[in-house]
Amino acid sequence: MKIKRLLALLLALIMVVSMAGCGDAQSNQTNKDLKGTTIKVYTHMGQRVLGEEKKDEQGNTYRDANTAILKHLAERFTKETGINVELIVVTNEEELRPLFQVKDDSVDVFTCPNWSLEEWKAYAEPYCTVEEGIAQYGEYAKAMPTVDNQIYCIMPGRAYNQAVVYNEEVIKAAGYDEIPATLDEFNKMCEKIKALGITPISLHRVENWPLATVQDFAIYVSGNPNVFAECLKTENPFSETSPFGKTIKIYTEWKAKGFFEPEVYTDFGVAMDSVAYGKAAMMLFGSWVVPQIQGRVPQGKDPSIIKFAPAPDFGAGRYVLAAPADNWAISKFSKNKEAARKFIEYIANDAQFIADSGFIANKKGVEPKVPELYAIIDKMVASGDCKVVLQPANDENALNNQKVLEEAGLYADYKYVGLLFDALDITRPDDWSAYNKQVETQNQLYAKYKQELGVSWKD
Amino acid sequence: MVNESRSYKVLRYVFLIGAVIFVIVPILPLIFMAFKTGSEYSSTSVLVPPQNWFNFYNFKYAIRVGNLGKALINTGIILAVSLSVQLLFTTMVSYVLHRFEFTGKRVVFTLFLLTMFIPVVTTQTIVFQIIYKLGLVNKMLSVILLYSGVNIVGIFIMLNQLNAIPKELDESALIDGASYFRIYASIILPNMKPACITLLIINGIGYYNDFYIPNLYLRKEVQTFTVALHKFFGNTATPFEIVAAAILLGIVPIMIVFIFLQKHIFYGLAGAVKS
Repeated sequence: MKIKRLLALLLALIMVVSMAGCGDAQSNQTNKDLKGTTIKVYTHMGQRVLGEEKKDEQGNTYRDANTAILKHLAERFTKETGINVELIVVTNEEELRPLFQVKDDSVDVFTCPNWSLEEWKAYAEPYCTVEEGIAQYGEYAKAMPTVDNQIYCIMPGRAYNQAVVYNEEVIKAAGYDEIPATLDEFNKMCEKIKALGITPISLHRVENWPLATVQDFAIYVSGNPNVFAECLKTENPFSETSPFGKTIKIYTEWKAKGFFEPEVYTDFGVAMDSVAYGKAAMMLFGSWVVPQIQGRVPQGKDPSIIKFAPAPDFGAGRYVLAAPADNWAISKFSKNKEAARKFIEYIANDAQFIADSGFIANKKGVEPKVPELYAIIDKMVASGDCKVVLQPANDENALNNQKVLEEAGLYADYKYVGLLFDALDITRPDDWSAYNKQVETQNQLYAKYKQELGVSWKD
Repeated sequence: MVNESRSYKVLRYVFLIGAVIFVIVPILPLIFMAFKTGSEYSSTSVLVPPQNWFNFYNFKYAIRVGNLGKALINTGIILAVSLSVQLLFTTMVSYVLHRFEFTGKRVVFTLFLLTMFIPVVTTQTIVFQIIYKLGLVNKMLSVILLYSGVNIVGIFIMLNQLNAIPKELDESALIDGASYFRIYASIILPNMKPACITLLIINGIGYYNDFYIPNLYLRKEVQTFTVALHKFFGNTATPFEIVAAAILLGIVPIMIVFIFLQKHIFYGLAGAVKS
């Protein structure tokens, strides 16, 4: 009997060892098969491939090769797996489109932040199901581009977005140690900064995309993450009684008070420089901008004077928006899908790369590293002074609201914000008649197209 | 000589000086920017001259990082080949359309004319697919092929010039036993020099400055000057002081061509107008 037991144990041991060995052998076999494969990675992350643009002691622009973190990651990946990576920087998604339209197989991995769901489905390989995504990335998976229960791109980090990026030296000069908690106090601080001859807020209105912050600030104003979709519940979303109307009015009041830059910045780089050099006190953006401004702080000054803190309480408490960050997809036409997937997984498992990119690793089983730039927000979230709100997924209500705005000609380029903001003539800051007229026009357009499309809020 | 009143003279100078300012003012900030440091560019107005006119850092950076030298050579090769082929085809097509009567001549001419009404961008999805199927994407030949085509503007210029060349010259040569190709090569082509120079100037400058086609077809492997320039543009921020230096470097070849060929250029444009 004893011998039989011993034999059974021995047999089981042999089986376990052989199975484990089989797994390793399989994995080694796959790596061996992929060795020598070259994948082409098309990315808009120029800074992370070429290095951040910084200024030397003479003030000349140069690229800091040490900050080419994606290039360094690709080199490590090649060393470990034998899969070669060719990084190709694109300025925008439009450069990729012609290649996908001819089903070109030269794209293996790509990043593409601004595509519609239809485009994701047409050009990207399904990465995993929503359930698999949630198992790996928690609730953040729900905000990844999804069509028919398939996630098309993996967003391995999370970011705290839409907060105040500020130059600490400037606000200290105005007598403040931190971003005030209330809107009244925030406005007082801006007045003091303005009195110092410094621009309180750098907006860069010459482009439309900076207005995205206004859309997200409506969440803070209402304390409701679904505020965009819930426009459908009202006939007059642009009146100040509605969260959107109130948020846009706050921005326009800041404009009337002269809180934004009087000059036109020729480029967003100049806008970032204004904060880095202390010509402006702050910007209201996502965390992605912080490392870039820190990199522009002139030589001899500590880049950590650029800080990131929650926006003041606009009436419903202090919030910070959390959203999945970065996006990595496999091309539907790639002939190296397995190698491409390995590369994306390698990124998702590299907490340091994600932290250096300004985000927090989100994948389960990966020990996250919190970048220094989140120090203030983290502390306030831990103490309960600031609440984290998760960016909502695009549900049916949100898409219907978007359709109404599109039909009304107000959606593209954040026109529903821009047209109102621009309606106030800065040379006549007390005359709000044009602004109020624009509110009426936009409300009428919204009601008209909502009725024409026959859409309404669905519980 | 017409007597001019003093006020008329003053007015004329005011107008001319105004016109010069109108042309120069947009270029001045570009020159200023090219000599400024990054910090200086961010902290001063674009109309303020640089502190140091001998700061060539941006030029060196643009050449080194942007690989502008190679890009200019690529542009030169593309221009030389495509303009030569285009000139040859345009003069030949014009010669045939002007001097010969044949069935379908009107149809051919109308088809050339029709292309004028179709914006280039609208056909690019299909054209890109054709070039892709030919395996020419990322090869210089793709752009050469697209630039070498005969366009209606060129035909109009050539037809105007052909009107000024007497048909009797062709007929005499024909009686003397010259072939049609000989007539084209020895009589027509030399007499069409002003029109050829006009076409070279119009299309040469157009192709030199074109960004759309090289960016679409050449991408990374072979860059022309405009594509290389575009690589300095970032997703959100752009070092404009370096872009300005690169643009000035790009103006240099055109300036050299202009200095050496100005007599021909003026003669070419004036000749085309006269004819």
